[in-house]
Amino acid sequence: MSTYHLTVVSMDGQDFEGEVQKILLRTIDGDIEILARHTDYCTAIGMGTAKVTMEDGTERKAACIGGMISVMNGEVRVLPTTWEWSEDIDIERAKAAKERAEERLKDQQLDKEARIRAEAKLYRALVRLGSARHDHQSDQ
Amino acid sequence: MAGSMKAVKLRIKSVQSTMQITKAMQLVAASKLRKAKERADASKPYLQTMLDTLTDIANSNTDYRSPYTKVSDNDKWLYVVIAGDRGLAGGYNSNLFKFMEAETEGRKDYTVLPIGKKSVEHFKHRNIPLYTEEYAEVAKINISDCFQIAKIVCDAYSSGEFGHIFLCYTNFVSMLSQVPTASSLLPLSDLRTEEKNSDGKARELILYEPDSETVFNAIVPEYLAGILYSSINVSYASELAARRTAMEAATDNAEEMIDTLSLYYNRARQASITQEITEIVAGAES
Repeated sequence: MSTYHLTVVSMDGQDFEGEVQKILLRTIDGDIEILARHTDYCTAIGMGTAKVTMEDGTERKAACIGGMISVMNGEVRVLPTTWEWSEDIDIERAKAAKERAEERLKDQQLDKEARIRAEAKLYRALVRLGSARHDHQSDQ
Repeated sequence: MAGSMKAVKLRIKSVQSTMQITKAMQLVAASKLRKAKERADASKPYLQTMLDTLTDIANSNTDYRSPYTKVSDNDKWLYVVIAGDRGLAGGYNSNLFKFMEAETEGRKDYTVLPIGKKSVEHFKHRNIPLYTEEYAEVAKINISDCFQIAKIVCDAYSSGEFGHIFLCYTNFVSMLSQVPTASSLLPLSDLRTEEKNSDGKARELILYEPDSETVFNAIVPEYLAGILYSSINVSYASELAARRTAMEAATDNAEEMIDTLSLYYNRARQASITQEITEIVAGAES
């Protein structure tokens, strides 16, 4: 399978650079998968698990939230706000964040903005937990 | 002679206490710098890749439906200027302001969104309208503040309050060199580096999904926040590096001054002793 050059740079620094076969990630418009020789393309990233298939066919998973992906002249650049490889995700912390957010959302008096923030926190925690899991099935 | 000796001694003491302060500041800046440099190094690739990508997009974009990509004829400028919180950092603040002055020369209608106390002071002093003073302390700004700044900037831009958004910050080239830099933020057409070619050559189209307006509305606030956050990190590291260098030079100068003064003091002391001996000998002989 032909490969292409992928760069992943998040706000915390460069996370990946190298040849890959494909990358699958969730955009604001649904899941997409980029293969080699894709046309020039640009879209915003949503929240979800990204799957990168390396040159040798191995697959790595990562939590990928926010930012953008662009394909320019065969060069693929992913610029997420958050990118965490599944093995780097702190599961305990994500679980704690999930519980905190759920606790907060139970409060009916929560004003709109705080609710949105808590929902975003909950969703981020869920994405992290979903990406950290090592089985094949992914539930988002 | 005795009077001047006392004055020299006092002078040495005063220089010594100044040296203590500059030395302390140098050490503090050096230890903070280590952490700031790590953060700046981590932010740099993001800043660079983001700007490269958007420049590429701006160069080949032919879709002007989103307000963020349209060529703007509104001549109101908003400058986001990132400076330091404190002085005594060599030319760090003044270089940036000088650079900024050259950048805005001939332009009358502009507003500044200052980040950093020095930046607020500088533009207030010159009666330049400030957009908000909320982000005066550069050292305290975190990522969610950056998202907030990005949001207000985006809102101001899309409501037509400003036609161009510009960013001035100091790039951290190395420990010894920091260069004031400016970059255009909005509209994206300002990022264009190639002249629009009118030779009728077909440009490659970019595919936006679901459509360019939605994509840009989602990307732009995040792009601004990301750029702001990285450039604040880079500027903060530059400030500390500039301060460290300046304080190192000040300490060296103080040391040199103390050396010269002590030499002078010792000479004066010897001269006075010699004179006393001469006087005593002369007295005994007579």
